[in-house]
Amino acid sequence: MSRRIGSALFALLAAFAAAAAEEVQVSARTDGDEVALDGTLNLTISAAVSSKGDQAELSLPDLKDFDVVSRSQSEQVAFTFVNGAPTFRRTTVTTVKLAPRREGKLVIEPARVVYKGRTYTTQPISIRALPAGEAPAPKARAQAPPPPDPFAEDAATDPFQDVHPQSRDLVLRGSVDRERPFVGQQVTYSLYLLARINVSGIDKLQLPRLDGFWSEEVEAPQQLVGEARIIDGVPYRAFLLRKRALFPLRPGKVQVEPAEVEVMTGFGMLFSRSSTRRSSQPLTVDVQPLPDAHKPEGFDAGNVGSWTLTASIDPVAVAVGQPVTLRLVAQGRGNVRNLALPKLGQIPGLRSYDATSNDKEAIEQGQVTGTRTVEQLLVPERTGALEIPSLSMDLFDPSQKGYRTVRTDPIRLEVHAAPASASIGSQTTAQNLLAAGGLRPIRLRMTRASIAPPPWTRGWFWPLLGAGPLALALMVGTGRLRRLLARDPAEERMKKARGAARARLRGAEALLEAQRRGDASAADFHAEVARALTGYLTDKQGISPAGMTRDELGRALLERGHPPGTVRAVLGVLDECDRARFAPGGADLTSQEARLERAERLLGELDKVRRGA
Amino acid sequence: MRELALAALLAGSAARAGVSVPPEARGNALFDQANAAYLSGETSRAVSGYEALLEEGLVSPELETNLGAAYLRQGKRGLAALHLERALFLDPSDDDARADLLEVRRGIVDKLEGEAENGGVEVLSRALAPLPGPAAAVALVALWSLGWGLLGANLIRPRAALGTFAIACFLLAGAAALVAAGSAAAHQLTLRRAVVVAQAAPAREGPSDRAASHFEVHEGTALRIEDEDQGFRRVKLANGLTGWVHAAAVEPVVPSGWSNQHRP
Repeated sequence: MSRRIGSALFALLAAFAAAAAEEVQVSARTDGDEVALDGTLNLTISAAVSSKGDQAELSLPDLKDFDVVSRSQSEQVAFTFVNGAPTFRRTTVTTVKLAPRREGKLVIEPARVVYKGRTYTTQPISIRALPAGEAPAPKARAQAPPPPDPFAEDAATDPFQDVHPQSRDLVLRGSVDRERPFVGQQVTYSLYLLARINVSGIDKLQLPRLDGFWSEEVEAPQQLVGEARIIDGVPYRAFLLRKRALFPLRPGKVQVEPAEVEVMTGFGMLFSRSSTRRSSQPLTVDVQPLPDAHKPEGFDAGNVGSWTLTASIDPVAVAVGQPVTLRLVAQGRGNVRNLALPKLGQIPGLRSYDATSNDKEAIEQGQVTGTRTVEQLLVPERTGALEIPSLSMDLFDPSQKGYRTVRTDPIRLEVHAAPASASIGSQTTAQNLLAAGGLRPIRLRMTRASIAPPPWTRGWFWPLLGAGPLALALMVGTGRLRRLLARDPAEERMKKARGAARARLRGAEALLEAQRRGDASAADFHAEVARALTGYLTDKQGISPAGMTRDELGRALLERGHPPGTVRAVLGVLDECDRARFAPGGADLTSQEARLERAERLLGELDKVRRGA
Repeated sequence: MRELALAALLAGSAARAGVSVPPEARGNALFDQANAAYLSGETSRAVSGYEALLEEGLVSPELETNLGAAYLRQGKRGLAALHLERALFLDPSDDDARADLLEVRRGIVDKLEGEAENGGVEVLSRALAPLPGPAAAVALVALWSLGWGLLGANLIRPRAALGTFAIACFLLAGAAALVAAGSAAAHQLTLRRAVVVAQAAPAREGPSDRAASHFEVHEGTALRIEDEDQGFRRVKLANGLTGWVHAAAVEPVVPSGWSNQHRP
């Protein structure tokens, strides 16, 4: 079906079918058989009756699958002569704007019209609801006027397209040019007075409070200037009372309350004047949130509109210490008061002061335009070329339904040293202030680092540290050992002399015991005692008694510091031993024991004096 | 990545021309490209290039410094602090990395209150870290051994000069030992050092998401890793505050590839 018109003509009861067909005509149609979930559909129900006074009562169908966005009604009475008799035809047209609640196949149930106690119904109408954002097929709306694009710039929406004043002489009409704007997008609210009688003035105009919007005056006529309009075939004068730009502050459905005005009618002094109060219909604006898709990080919700951003400095070359002005200008369409401009960060070598901001607004073709100028004083503190980097601002452009970024160009500032004459008399002569801070320049050459373990983690480190002291200890130990191994035999004999002498005396004692048993002779005993003494003197005292006379031996002992009594006793014992060895029988056992004791005592006395002392 | 593709293209062109591109030349070319991107303000491209070099296993203090600076320009203070710390680990005398790290720390969210735990050791190790620890260790071994040698010579053939030289060697060896010990202490601390790279991470009482959290740490904050368990790391801040955070939220200054070789 090229055009889905749910039209129906009928509803006459059987008994009055022919006559009633002429008396009552009821029809319902929509402006399309497809609608997107985020779109609207117009349902038009017409009831025409052949009567001047009686009106048909319309009951809307059960619209369980739709939301009623708005509803309007118009009435037209036609008067004709048929066969010389006057005939009236009253047509009531009810237009309902519907928004589908769900996707899929939906049905608009029949509407009911009651006239003179009889009920007439229309046919049900099938509608296909498409997913949000999907456009219905063009043919589906071929017969219907194209819906206004809420995002089309300067969309000129006729505020009277759905006005049906019926028989009213005065109608106060409020309208908005966009019903589903984005947050921050301009919506133009217009308030018109429609009159088909003479209007001499208005008074006590009370505009709605417009909560949830930032509003700006667009047009406020001081005089009533009418514009001819034909509405439902009836000529009217349309007076614009007020036009305001509204900028929604938050998403969601926002109610615009009715406006009120007192209208004075009549022709001044000649004709009677009267005043009447009129209210406009309430309006609903469904404010859409800014889309999350592709939203820049840290986006400021006030940056909505079509804006350009430029930056400049004045002057572009300056002496160090002299101020320059950075001027950042945002210009375009939208609410300039909500705009958040980028801030200049810290620039090394450039001292910045607080910025001042200035806003200018204007109205161009019903659109609010504006210019924000931010001026910031900068004082260069070092010479050379300084660059003010590109500044960028993210914004949402409703005309493109998307985000974009506007950027300024980087600006180069040439700073030179002040002329010598300029610094004369000033207290400081330094001009080029080189303050530390900021990121260091990156490195342009790369070196490969060795990540070898540090030496103290290596296996050789600690043994090598211990090697020095160990080597020295070894050296000392080896020396001592060598000295131990290289000992003098004479010294050795001297140390062992006492022990050897005692051993011989023990042997002599054993020989004494053997004599008692008859196994040994006295000569053997005395020879042993004599060997004990002479051996001791040889080893310990370094005296060799064998080749010496008794006098020589005595002198040698005296020279070594032995007491004379000891020397005499030693010589006496040696003489006694010689005599006993070479003249046997002269010594009994008792005298031998006494001699043994004396020899032992003498060894002790001799041992008290060291050799060479 | 585009840089890797460029490097591959470079290698491919060279191969067609019958010339083999040594890995060092390829790495230098990629480094130059990343530097050019950084200098023209394309920090994302620069970061990709530097990261590609790291993925190839390149270890360079300059690479780490540049990567840290690029991350700082992107506002990623955690990653910036991590790579600048790595640059200082590789070259403790790198003043630029130290200055950039100070710049990073100026913008860190976390501010520690209370007395620093082991603050003296930390300060001392930080002060001694720039000193040439490995060189001092080698000098210690040489001077120490020489001192003992001279002492031994003096015992064998006593000379006054030998004894004096030996004492001088022992004094110098003591100084070298101090430097090496400081460097070793700093090394040990760095092996356990880590940086928060997540924007924010709750520190919990135990290694579980269900454990209570009493504080949060934010990117760029330096801390010490004490333990690891079940995908969590037990971390300790400089003032002794301790908690468990997700392992991915903190990165050790010395990556495992390096620490395996450094760990004593």
